[in-house]
Amino acid sequence: MNKTQLQRIQLLTGAPAEVQSMTLSDWERIGGSKHPVLGDCIELRQESLLVVRVSAAELQVLRIHSALTPLEQELLKWAIQPSQQRPQGGSSDSERQARRLGEWIDQSLSLGEMRAEVPERFELGGRLFDGMIPFLLHSEQQAEEREPSYAELEKVLRSFISDEMMLIPIREREWLVLGSDRLLAEVEGAEEDIVDHDVTKEALHSLATGLHQMVTEEWGGECHVAVDLPMIPSESLVQTVATLRDTMYLGRKFHAGLHVHLPWMVHLERLLSGIPEGTRLRFMEEMAARPDLFTEPETISTLDAFFAMDCNVSETAKKLFIHRNTLLYRLDKLKQETGLDVRSFNDAVLVRIMLLLYKVTKRK
Amino acid sequence: MAGVRLEHVYKKYPGADKASVTDFNLDIQDKEFLVLVGPSGCGKSTTLRMIAGLEEISEGKLYIGDRVVNDVAPKDRDIAMVFQSYALYPHMNVYQNMAFGLKLRKFRKDEIDRRVREAARTLEIEHLLDRKPKALSGGQRQRVALGRAIVREPQVFLMDEPLSNLDAKLRTQMRANISKLMKRLETTCIYVTHDQTEAMTMGDRIVVMKDGFIQQAATPEELYNHPVNLFVAGFIGAPAMNFITGQLVEAGGAVHFKATGVDVEVPEGKAKALRAKGYVGREVIMGVRPEDIHEEPVFIEASPKSIINANIEVSENLGHEMFLYLNGLGKDNVIARVDGRSGLQEGQNVKLAIDMNKIHVFDLDTELNILEN
Repeated sequence: MNKTQLQRIQLLTGAPAEVQSMTLSDWERIGGSKHPVLGDCIELRQESLLVVRVSAAELQVLRIHSALTPLEQELLKWAIQPSQQRPQGGSSDSERQARRLGEWIDQSLSLGEMRAEVPERFELGGRLFDGMIPFLLHSEQQAEEREPSYAELEKVLRSFISDEMMLIPIREREWLVLGSDRLLAEVEGAEEDIVDHDVTKEALHSLATGLHQMVTEEWGGECHVAVDLPMIPSESLVQTVATLRDTMYLGRKFHAGLHVHLPWMVHLERLLSGIPEGTRLRFMEEMAARPDLFTEPETISTLDAFFAMDCNVSETAKKLFIHRNTLLYRLDKLKQETGLDVRSFNDAVLVRIMLLLYKVTKRK
Repeated sequence: MAGVRLEHVYKKYPGADKASVTDFNLDIQDKEFLVLVGPSGCGKSTTLRMIAGLEEISEGKLYIGDRVVNDVAPKDRDIAMVFQSYALYPHMNVYQNMAFGLKLRKFRKDEIDRRVREAARTLEIEHLLDRKPKALSGGQRQRVALGRAIVREPQVFLMDEPLSNLDAKLRTQMRANISKLMKRLETTCIYVTHDQTEAMTMGDRIVVMKDGFIQQAATPEELYNHPVNLFVAGFIGAPAMNFITGQLVEAGGAVHFKATGVDVEVPEGKAKALRAKGYVGREVIMGVRPEDIHEEPVFIEASPKSIINANIEVSENLGHEMFLYLNGLGKDNVIARVDGRSGLQEGQNVKLAIDMNKIHVFDLDTELNILEN
């Protein structure tokens, strides 16, 4: 938001206003939604907070030092929408259909109607009845003016995936991309469909990674991608978007450096996320006799690699480019300092949980 | 082609206590191969990502050529990136992978074909053009990722640990390939690695980073021979430089460095500087590279004022050279790199001599190299 826009808002509302940064967790703490979007508003004592930009870890919030009426909130929300996000007079039929479908998905999600079937009015050329791979794409573009058009993104994705794809805008900078499940066979270079579950997951992971790389390099900068197993959109579209959104939320919360998120990789994270904060903090206090335990980047990277390599010492050492004995020394040091030996199953479980919880609490 | 300039660049993440990158100033010349190196968390990848446009610059200016690109989208910066996780497009064959970016930019078909085939020839992957990524080895995939960057003919290449996923043998091979390739392409390249061997062998210039700050930016030789502080001295070189804490004392008209098991005379040139800076009588850290500790009788005979006696705790013979882990010199083990045919053995007491012209002296508090600052 530039200075002129800010001045106009001050003039219209008759109150001082400023734009400030806020972390997602701070937003959640003051009563904001878990997945804030452009235009979300919170009323505090004699001031109103309105989200004007959403990025990976932070929000830009317009703080207006007066209470806003619901009508003023709606008007402001409309005013801050980038012009490309507003339905265009010249948009194509498919774009209008896709936008309406996106609105229906978002509405169903807000109402908690996860099993809602896609109404017949959304025909979309019968594409909702084919097996489709669902990708959720969240762009992390930095400047408002870079918000791209639907047509631009659709064209890029058609080149990348195939003409048999659908692009459904759901929220600000959030799109559902449906690609034909025939892509999986193309990944394998085989004619027949993939039946092995693990091979399918691996192929989906590489497709999502490729999509992330393509969007990052060739289109609009950093983004996050979540992917799920193929599904029939007419039957489970809402549920799928809910799963992908949740997966992306958990992935970003627990694994800050990752940009590709997979539902089958965040089971433990989902469980931990559901534990009330008080209980989590108590657990951390009880377990971590040494609160500084995970403050050393070396300890964290060592443990991350150790768990990623299924607690295999040789493979972990190889991955970290260190000698096996160096790794054993680090693990012994950890045991000495905490009494927890990650080479034993029970202790490994505890340390893994502590590590995940620490990453979340540290970010707060 | 273009140079890259960073002026007072900072990166601070929301909610973080301190900046991840602080006051980064660097002028990267056109066609230069610059390596950013440092331990995990030092800010090198963040710096590269800011240049790529994948991270917002909190403060400062970034120039590519003469243009400020702080607010330019990554795809419009005329750069090409190669990352550690070289994600190829799995449903496309090698040719399509390399051609995709050009196709998006609406290049003519014959131009795309020319560029792809030329890059494939350079990278020796012409025979793989019809294959899908799944049918390629790790090294071949990495070459395709490089090919995808090369066909763009960008002003600047950005590489973030591109060899980390390869095994040691392949890494050495690819290291040489990339160096050769960049010389041939004559394009500016900014390369991030945590591996000091990679940095030393590939870079025209190396920037050593720690805790978000540039520690030193210099040629590999300069960094190795004239480190500005204890961190750079310890980071560059394998095995690392030995550090012995001791005292500088004036004795018999000369300056001596004294520590447990060590009493050596500092050459006059260095002694003069130490006297002038008021370090005589104070505790300092002496830095000695393993190869500057000698076992050859001729050297020992010629260096009576720098002789040390130690016990060999462990010896590692690599054939052409041998590492001796010595006891009794200062508080920690001191490592000497000697001839593999010296015949020295574990448990043996040994007489050695330090090449005092090559020593470094560091301030105990500031950790700065007293003789280089």
